[in-house]
Amino acid sequence: MENHVEYKEIARKAGYISLRVVIYAVLVCGAFLLVFPYLWMLLTSFKKDLDAISIQLSLFPKQWVFHNYADIWTFIPLLKGLGNTLLVEVSVIVVGTFVSAMAAFSFAKLKLRHKTFWLLFLMSGMMVPYAALMMPQFRVFMAIGMFDTLWPLILPGFFGNVSMLFFLVQYMRGIPNAYFEAARIDGAGHFKCFISVMLPLVKTAIAAQVIFWFIGIWNDYFAPSIYLHSHDRMTLQPMLAIINSESSSGIRLPLIMAGAVLASIPMLVIYITCQKYFIESLSISGVKG
Amino acid sequence: MEKTAIVCPETGEQTAGGGASPFMKKKKSRLERREHLIAFLFILPPIIGFLVFTVASMLFSFVYSFQKYNTLTGASSWIGFDNYINLFTHELFAPDFWNSVGNTAILLLSIPLSMFLGLCLAGLLRMGDIKGSKIFQVLYYLPAVSSAVAMNIVWRYIFNNEFGIVNLMFNIKAAWLSDDALLKIAIIFKNSINGMGTAMILYLAGMLNVPKDYYEAASLDGAGKVRQFFSITLPIISPVTFYLLITGLIGGLQSYADSQVFAAGDSGARTIVYFIWARGIDQGRYGLASAASILLAFVIMIITVIQFKFSNKWVYEE
Repeated sequence: MENHVEYKEIARKAGYISLRVVIYAVLVCGAFLLVFPYLWMLLTSFKKDLDAISIQLSLFPKQWVFHNYADIWTFIPLLKGLGNTLLVEVSVIVVGTFVSAMAAFSFAKLKLRHKTFWLLFLMSGMMVPYAALMMPQFRVFMAIGMFDTLWPLILPGFFGNVSMLFFLVQYMRGIPNAYFEAARIDGAGHFKCFISVMLPLVKTAIAAQVIFWFIGIWNDYFAPSIYLHSHDRMTLQPMLAIINSESSSGIRLPLIMAGAVLASIPMLVIYITCQKYFIESLSISGVKG
Repeated sequence: MEKTAIVCPETGEQTAGGGASPFMKKKKSRLERREHLIAFLFILPPIIGFLVFTVASMLFSFVYSFQKYNTLTGASSWIGFDNYINLFTHELFAPDFWNSVGNTAILLLSIPLSMFLGLCLAGLLRMGDIKGSKIFQVLYYLPAVSSAVAMNIVWRYIFNNEFGIVNLMFNIKAAWLSDDALLKIAIIFKNSINGMGTAMILYLAGMLNVPKDYYEAASLDGAGKVRQFFSITLPIISPVTFYLLITGLIGGLQSYADSQVFAAGDSGARTIVYFIWARGIDQGRYGLASAASILLAFVIMIITVIQFKFSNKWVYEE
């Protein structure tokens, strides 16, 4: 009897372990499938041009070459592309974050007439597809000579980011009013309250939002591809897309892959170092739904 | 949005000055008016941005949709509903438009697929009580933060007709990038696995929210694991399902990079937004493209309104 129970227990444990092994195997396979494009990008970037389009399957380069990473800088103005992308990033994020945070402070802590209306008003913009806005904007930016400049990408960002604003409103509501009362008694105005009391208190929340926005701008493709035409005025994403379509014969594939690797590195570094924020904020968004 | 009572710095002052003199009252109301003004100035930049880049742009799109734009002279003339009618009946534009509507609808299939895969993965993580769950979450979410352009370039290479690794691996010669059906299958496959990470993380978060005693009570009543999943887990995580469906639909209806970069403009994968881009931006047919964009905006708005209106009726609430 005793033996029988033990046997059953062992069988149950063995079943559990083998179940976990199967689960791990499935999860690892899935993860490999998702990481594979990056792996393939990297491996291809070290191949010779003909090696990459060979009809014989070879995962690793027959001969490892590194010149693609040197050639890409002259093949396309990658450095210019990086500079342009960073120019958009920095100007939009610095001004846009300040504007969003200031508005969020007003929504969260100040007496504002028709508060709910204004917040809903701003949020309603999130449901309008960009495609329904781009034609008039395109014609206006064209008419005032901003076509093929970075202005059409920078200007809208100066007015803030609604999803950041909304998130910060929620966050700032949780900050106790006592902080501001103390500052008010000391004679600080509302602006001073915002700058020297609120901002230091919410800087981590802002940092997380800035990271998301940074990645968003980094990966942005649609608007940049509409407005930017000269290669050396492009941001990274349209630049990658254009060299890919210009060499669609696939002859210079390893070179393009090297470009894609280089353009992905900053985003990957940020994602890996800040992964906690990404996963947490995603989990929250869904649960609140 | 719930209406939360906002306690302001002045609240304390307000109660204290309840029986104050008329002079105090006047001073207070001036202070209050000042605060209203400052508060409004603080929210003014986003409002101006919204008025210019959303409200005005949308209005002009609407106006364009009733006009014909002459690319040579740059003049616009009113043509009533002709643009809308042309979208559906013009011998040149209608087939293209219908094709893009059909393609967009078919490509939306990746949404339920990625949701199903994500649900299975979340279930596996939960069932196996996996240790490296965080690592898997980070890896599975990777495609969502990746550049659509870089990913599409690689996927295009992976599915290449002649030397793509998919064909070489299975030793087949499928025309993934030029056959209408195969092209769509490739995109659906790519988007399904790329989207499953988001679904997995959200479903997992939802599953962790289910109170343990629900399951205990169910097992006491003799409900098996399968029964528990369908009668407890699935209803409780329905808000996640709803959220994924809505955000997936809104994103999927605006798909563009897949047509432009992955399919390189092949007609088998031209989406509605690609149609709007090609006719409007590329060919200068602002009227026709605006009509299509207004219809798209209308559909997306309806979906969003449905989300707001019915989300608490359809989904589980405690």
